Amino acid sequence: MTPAQPDMTAPGPGATSAATGADSGSGSGSGSGGTRRRALRGDRSRGGAGRGAGGPARRSAAARGTARPGIGWALPAVVFFGLFALVPLVMVAVLSFTSWSGLGSPSFAGLTNWTKLFHDPVMIQSLWLSVLLTGLGVVVQTPLSILIGVWAAGPQRGRAVLAAVFFVPLLLSVTAVSVLWRALLDPNFGVPAQARWLFGDGDLFGSRTGAIGVLVLVSAWQYTPLHSLIYQGATRAIPKVLYQAAAVDGAGRVRQFFHITLPQLRNAIVTSVILMVVGGLTTFDSVLILTQGGPGTDTTITAFYMYEKAFKSFDYGAGAAIALLLVVVATAISLVVVRLSGYDRMAGTQEGLS
Amino acid sequence: MRMSTRKRIPTRTPMRSAPAARARITRTVACGGAALMLGTSLTACGGGGSGSGGGSQEFHVLVYGDAGNKVEKKIVAEFNKTSKVKAVLDTIPGADYQQKLQTIINTPQAPDVFYNWGGGSIRPYVKAGLLMPLDDVFPNDPKIGDHFLPSVYNTAKIDGKAYGIPMRGTQPVLLFSNKKVLADAGVTAPKTWDDLLTDVKKLKAKGVTPIALGGGDKWTTMMWFEYLYDRVAGPGLFEKAVSGDKSVWASADSKKALSMFRQLVDAGAFGSNYDSVKWTGGGSAQLLASGKAGFELMGSWEYSTQKENSPDFAAHGLGYTTFPSVAGGKGNTADLVGNTNNFYSVMKKTKQRAAIAKFLKLMYSDDFVKAQLSIGNLPTTTNTDKFLDSTGDPAYAKYQLNLVSKAPSFQVSWDQAYPPSQMTAIYQAVQEFTDGKIDAGAFIKDMQALDAS
Repeated sequence: MTPAQPDMTAPGPGATSAATGADSGSGSGSGSGGTRRRALRGDRSRGGAGRGAGGPARRSAAARGTARPGIGWALPAVVFFGLFALVPLVMVAVLSFTSWSGLGSPSFAGLTNWTKLFHDPVMIQSLWLSVLLTGLGVVVQTPLSILIGVWAAGPQRGRAVLAAVFFVPLLLSVTAVSVLWRALLDPNFGVPAQARWLFGDGDLFGSRTGAIGVLVLVSAWQYTPLHSLIYQGATRAIPKVLYQAAAVDGAGRVRQFFHITLPQLRNAIVTSVILMVVGGLTTFDSVLILTQGGPGTDTTITAFYMYEKAFKSFDYGAGAAIALLLVVVATAISLVVVRLSGYDRMAGTQEGLS
Repeated sequence: MRMSTRKRIPTRTPMRSAPAARARITRTVACGGAALMLGTSLTACGGGGSGSGGGSQEFHVLVYGDAGNKVEKKIVAEFNKTSKVKAVLDTIPGADYQQKLQTIINTPQAPDVFYNWGGGSIRPYVKAGLLMPLDDVFPNDPKIGDHFLPSVYNTAKIDGKAYGIPMRGTQPVLLFSNKKVLADAGVTAPKTWDDLLTDVKKLKAKGVTPIALGGGDKWTTMMWFEYLYDRVAGPGLFEKAVSGDKSVWASADSKKALSMFRQLVDAGAFGSNYDSVKWTGGGSAQLLASGKAGFELMGSWEYSTQKENSPDFAAHGLGYTTFPSVAGGKGNTADLVGNTNNFYSVMKKTKQRAAIAKFLKLMYSDDFVKAQLSIGNLPTTTNTDKFLDSTGDPAYAKYQLNLVSKAPSFQVSWDQAYPPSQMTAIYQAVQEFTDGKIDAGAFIKDMQALDAS
C-alpha cells in the first residue's frame, strides 16, 4: 500500500485533493492519463464483446494472433481432477446404493439408503440448518466485510497496520480457532463468567439459539478478513475519476459510498457471496469441535451428519447418500446464486466510463 | 457444485482461500470412500493372505498409540529376546483407532493381535467370525482366566466365550468430591441416593454447583445413567439389553431409574449450564478443584488429571467414594461401571497361534505389572496387589483394586458395551433426556432402536 495512492472511499476534502491525487499518477494507474488510457481500452473491449458490430472481425483476428494451447497442456489437470474428484464421486454414488459397515464387502441395498434418508427427520433438519447457517453467515459477514474492506482500502499507514492485524485470523487453522473459542466461551471460566449481564448463566452450547449464534460468530471472526480482502482489492480498482465527478456534483461521503462504491463492488459482492455459500454449506470442522452437532441434534448440519453416519456409525452407504445429496443441493444453490446475480455473464461495471 | 465453483470462482485469491478449503470436505470424503472401496476390492483380490506375511516368522500386534505404548514396547522387546517368532508392534495414534481398525480388520493388512475395549467393541468381529476364542488360543491352558480379576476378564466374553486378555489398567468410575466445599456446607459423602439429594440441596443453598458435569462431552452424563440403572435394576437389565432383549428398556425399573435422574437434574444438581461445560479441556475438573462445585462423577483418571493440573487440591482436597445405593434397588452397592480394562484379542486366521499364546502369557508376569504401575496404570491381574506399595499413591491404587476385585459386577461403559456404530445414538438420547427435550418414553424408544448385534 503506497502512501501516494489516493483514498478511494472518500476523496476527503473534495475536488482539490482529488485533483492532486490525479496529478500524482500513482502506481495503481489511477492518474488522469492512466485512467483515460484504461477507459479507452475498456471501451474497445466492450465494443468487441458487447455490441458485436465490428466484433467478429476483431475476434477472429484475436484468434489468429493467440492460438489456444492444445488439449495436451490440460492433461495433467484433467487426469488429476478425474482421479481425485470424478472417480471418487462416481464411487460415492455407487456406494450410496449399498450397505457397508467397513467389514466385508458392500452389498447392494437398492434404494434403501435413499428412502431412509428422505424419511429421516434429522436429515431434513440438517439441510435446513446448513442453509440457515449459510444464510446467517452471508447476512452477518457481507456488510461487515464491505465496511472493513472499503475502510482498509484507504492509503493511511494506520489503516494498513490495523488491516494487517485484522487479517491474522485468516492465517489460523479452523481447528485451532474453534478450540480457542470453545475455551473462551466456557461458562464458568471464560468470557460469559465475566459478563453475566450479557450471557446469563452462559449456557451458550446448551440451547439451539446459543449454539447457532456461536457458530455464526466464530465463522464471522475467522472469515470476515478473507472477504474484506476481496472488497479491499475491488475498492482500490474503482477508478478515481468517478469520485471526482461525484464530488464535483456535490455528493458527500455517504452518497459516494452508496452510489459509486457499492455499485462498483457488485462483482466482488457476488464472488464473496458465492465463496460464503459454498464454504457455508460444507462447513464441518467448526461444528465438530465447537458443538459436535449438539445440543441433541440442534446444530447437526448436513456435512457433519454425513461424518457421523459414515465414520461414527460405520454406515458408509447412508454417509455416501448424504454426501451426494449435499453435492446436489450445494450445486443447485450455487447455480441459483450465479444465475440471479448475473455472475455468469460477468458484465462490466464500468459501462459508459471514458 | 464442484464444476460450477471451479469455473466461476477466481482461483487466484490473494491468500489461500479458506472457504474453498472447506468446500473440499465433500471431495475428501469422496476420496476416502473410494479408498475404502479400493481397500475392499483389494481384499477380494488378495485371497486372504495373513497379515504376518505367510512364511515369515513374525506376528503383528496393533495397539492404540499413546503414552502407554512404553510398556507395550518393553514387553514386545522382552518377548523378542527369547522367541524365534518375533512380535511386531504397530500403533495407530489417537482417536481414530476404532475407525482404522474397522477398515483394515478384514483385509490382508489386518494384525494378528489387536487392542480393544472388550464388550461391544469386539462383538461385531466375533459375529463376523474373525476372532479366535481364548479356549482355542490356549488349548492346554483352560485356566488362563484365573490370572485376572473375574469382574474384568468377564467383560471381554461374548456369548459365554472369552476373547480378550486384559493388557493395561482398570478405570472404574468413582464419585469425586471437594472435601473443603463439602465441609463448608456441612455435607458428608452420600451413602444413599436420598443422602445425595439432601447434599444437593445443602450445596445449592451455599451457592455452589452441587455436582460438576461436563455435559458437552455426553459420555460424562452417560455415567450417571449407567450407575442409576445398575443400582435400581441390577446389572442384569443392561446385560439383557445388550444381548438383544429390547423390552427391558420399557420395564418399571428402567422408568424408575429415569425418573430418579430427572429428579436430580430438576433439583438443579448440575446447575443450568452443564451443556456448555466439558471435562475434556478441563472445564468440569476445574469447577471441582476451584471449589465452585461439590461433587463430580468421573473415571479414576480424574485423580491423575487433578494431580497434574491442581497438585495441591489432589493431595489435600480431593475426596473419592463409590456411587450411593438406592433404597429398594436390585443392584449391589459394590457394583462398578467404567472402563474395565483394555484387551488383546487374537484373529482367527493367524498362523502364529503358539507364539501369540506365549506372548499373551506375559500379560500377567511380574515385570508387566511393575511396568504398568510405573506409568500409573492399575493392572487387573491377581498378582497386582503384591506390588502396590511401590506405587506413587498406594492408598488410591489399593482402594481401586479392592473395589474392582470385590465387585460382583463391573459394567463396561454403555458406549463400549454396544458396538461403536451405536455410540452417537446413545449420546444423543442421553443428552436430550437430560436437557428435557425428550421424555422417558422417547428415551426408551431411542434405546430400543439401538442395534446390539
